[in-house]
Amino acid sequence: MSLAFVRRHVLTVWSLLFFGYLLLPIAVVAAFSFNHPKGRFNYTWESFTWSNWTHWNAIPGIQSAVVLSLEIAVIASILATALGTLMALALVRYGFRGRGTTNFIVFLPLSTPEIVLGASLLTLFLNFNTPLGFWTILIAHVMFCVSFAVVTVKARLVGFDRHLEEAAMDLGANEWVTFRKVTLPLIAPAILAALLLCFAISVDDFVVTYFVAGPRVTFPIFVWGAARVATPPQINVIGIAFFVIAVTAMLGNVFFQNRRAVRA
Amino acid sequence: MSDSPERISRSVFLRRAAVSGSVLSVPGLLAACGGGGPAPGGSSTTVAQLAKTLHFSNWTLYIDKKGNRHPSLDQFQARYGVTVDYTEDINDNASFFSKIEPDLSRGQSTGRDIIVMTDNSRYPSLLVQKGWVEKLDKSVIPNISNLIPQQRHPSWDPNRDYSLPWQSGFTGIGWNANLTEPVTSMGELLGSKKLRGKVGLLTEFSDTLCLVMAYNGDDPSHITDKTFNRAITTIEKAVHSGQIRQFYGNDYASALANGDLTATMAWSGDIVQLHADNSHLQWQQPDTGGDIWTDNMLIPNGGNAYTASVFMNFVYEPKIAAEIEDYVNYVCPVLGAKAILLKKDPAIAKNTLIFPTTAMLDAAHTIDPEALNNEKYQTTWQNLISA
Amino acid sequence: MGFLHQRRTLAPYLLLAPGMLWLAIFFLVPLGFLVYQSLQSGNIDFGYAFTWAWGNYWDAIKGYRGEFERSFEYAGLATVIALAVSYPVAYWIAFRGGRWKNLLLLFIVAPFFVTYLIRTLAWETILSDHGLVVRLLTDIHLVPSGGRVLATGTAVVAGITYNFLPFMALPLYVSLEQIDHSLVEAAEDLYANKWIAFLRVTFPLSLPGVVAGTLLTFIPAAGDFINAQLLGSPTTHMIGNVINSKFNELIDYPAAAAMSFILMAIILAMILVYARAVGTEKLTG
Repeated sequence: MSLAFVRRHVLTVWSLLFFGYLLLPIAVVAAFSFNHPKGRFNYTWESFTWSNWTHWNAIPGIQSAVVLSLEIAVIASILATALGTLMALALVRYGFRGRGTTNFIVFLPLSTPEIVLGASLLTLFLNFNTPLGFWTILIAHVMFCVSFAVVTVKARLVGFDRHLEEAAMDLGANEWVTFRKVTLPLIAPAILAALLLCFAISVDDFVVTYFVAGPRVTFPIFVWGAARVATPPQINVIGIAFFVIAVTAMLGNVFFQNRRAVRA
Repeated sequence: MSDSPERISRSVFLRRAAVSGSVLSVPGLLAACGGGGPAPGGSSTTVAQLAKTLHFSNWTLYIDKKGNRHPSLDQFQARYGVTVDYTEDINDNASFFSKIEPDLSRGQSTGRDIIVMTDNSRYPSLLVQKGWVEKLDKSVIPNISNLIPQQRHPSWDPNRDYSLPWQSGFTGIGWNANLTEPVTSMGELLGSKKLRGKVGLLTEFSDTLCLVMAYNGDDPSHITDKTFNRAITTIEKAVHSGQIRQFYGNDYASALANGDLTATMAWSGDIVQLHADNSHLQWQQPDTGGDIWTDNMLIPNGGNAYTASVFMNFVYEPKIAAEIEDYVNYVCPVLGAKAILLKKDPAIAKNTLIFPTTAMLDAAHTIDPEALNNEKYQTTWQNLISA
Repeated sequence: MGFLHQRRTLAPYLLLAPGMLWLAIFFLVPLGFLVYQSLQSGNIDFGYAFTWAWGNYWDAIKGYRGEFERSFEYAGLATVIALAVSYPVAYWIAFRGGRWKNLLLLFIVAPFFVTYLIRTLAWETILSDHGLVVRLLTDIHLVPSGGRVLATGTAVVAGITYNFLPFMALPLYVSLEQIDHSLVEAAEDLYANKWIAFLRVTFPLSLPGVVAGTLLTFIPAAGDFINAQLLGSPTTHMIGNVINSKFNELIDYPAAAAMSFILMAIILAMILVYARAVGTEKLTG
């Protein structure tokens, strides 16, 4: 066995172990979503059942929590991506005074621990007597998603081939038409990626939401509350459902991209 | 023991409210004479109307449950046409209070009509002192006479103007009989090498301190700096020796059931509830004494006091109280429930953890209310459990 | 880089305005309020007042130095482990992935779609004292008999590492993927040794990814409190736990605000030092 052979396969084995490790908890969560627990606790396997999946909303409060999380995620990701795309365009396409500072300010939320983000927002809302609830959650989510959106779209814009735009303008299109017909479609994948990223981050957020949610309960907050007593299997069901939907969407995206690449 | 008052019909409520209240307004009198529908809500002193929805925040597993529904709440709705929006969002007195404090301190409604807080935390007395709770409408709570005598005059609400007990409970020691012999003393809990790293204490200031102080031979109902520090030192020693695995809120139960904990401070009702499916879980008051606490229903400012009071009256009917008790298994504050359960479910009626003996009640301590408001003590405690 | 509009135009400012306004109002201003609150004193019973209470900062450092140190220790450990574990995988996908690159990336990101709390709770189940994993580890003597994995610092670090792995792996992959393979091949020819070629050429070129990954992992990890709460014990508390309890249990807003600000300041200081050592463009791009 030559050194090269071993070296070649060490990486592969390592990587496979890595993926196994990464997916182990997911497998556990999935397995226990089919468990039929005897009593309150869902930590030993009793028997298989579909009922947790068919009656996923059997736990009071879980449905409204899921719905709220989804609502917030949809609206926040759209808003954040819109704001972020505009900012990315400005940061990449233009040289202007304050560009470095702007970059820094966009980067700051990413470098702030969530607990500080949540705490400071709470302080703001308390000082202005803003009632905590749907709108405060939404505001918070847009705030911390914007930076992610900017970074995602910027990455694509930086590697963007300007010649296509130049060609369009040479052919007589003005700036707005060029943007609409050339630029936008080409950065669409990045915008989509930003949307998905913001959606995922928003749905999953716990710490910041916990601070500003007031009486409203999003799904992560619901999980936190349930975990204090005993996590019902339905929590696993929702967790895995999100996972399956997201993975399917991404698989679809991958598949779609590969087809496009083949065609192009 | 009084006999059970009749179900009170809506028109009777209104008549009584109109007559007994401080109201002699024209609408009130009209309503009284007509005996029919409620007067339009002009001034706040006219006859009140039931709200469409009652927002009730409570601890988990604290009300009767059948499948996905709560039969007692369904009965309330059937009788009065009021939907109960029941949320189990209270896990911890301190963190729940911190959720509603911003609204209360700014004079805004918390969105809740009834909340439930424990009297061995500072919050019920704090809420009353700050005027952040509404007065009960006692004219619609005739069943208040069913409150057990020991609960009628708590120091923080001497006339029960603002609160009514929901359930009481004991704090003691729970253990996993599969993993250990009975653990009956705090000394064992805090020191036994066989339990090292598998012991839990509670995050509630009162519960843990009451039991530890009693174990130290001090009196929890009169705390001094010396006795407080002695208790803290005892706990710190146990933490640093690795004896204590973690400080728990409600979540000690799952750790105890799955074997991550062998023994822990535990609430009586939890273990009774769990015992059905997990017969290896046992509970006992420590030999130096446990403590007893009461969870009280309160109406935060902005809540609908009238509807909330009607609800409180409803759950103080022995029949309803018995139904709730059958599931919740904590200590029942309603006279007459035991008699009903003796016929329906004798095992529950005879369970001394639900209907305790005088001996048990005597052996239970209560915490010094002054200590609850002592900022230094509270900070020291929080540092211990979360830092 | 293509053309940049150098002429003075309002366009960039207009594009930036909505986003910056949002960040200004909901990020910068709150931070200002946080500072304001950290200089208050008082309590829930009698209210708070602004009193230039610099003492809050001093108290925070003095009283909770252990938690601060522990947070950075755990976060640092987790970051280093994540780097060590993810780098080979990122390399493998970037250089050997071929057609399957996107799919493999998906596998890295996918676990992230199960709620953070659920993942951590799953570890609580997996590592429970009487579960398979701990029994196995006891059998092979990695864990002393009668010992446990949960409620230890190890479990907390393991949890943090796990939860932030994608944050480390993805930036690593992005920068590794952009490396021109012909460069690497040339280096391998030159040095006649793959390992040296890696150290001299590949690794330095992947530094932007390393920087991004370490920052994206370390920063949230330092402020985390969930892993410590679910997987730890009273002796493994991080500063996040303290801040959480001061805000949500004690309602001691001034102390909590001071602590949050110190945490943020320390992190920023670390970043600046790091950035200077590595070069700022790699940081903010």
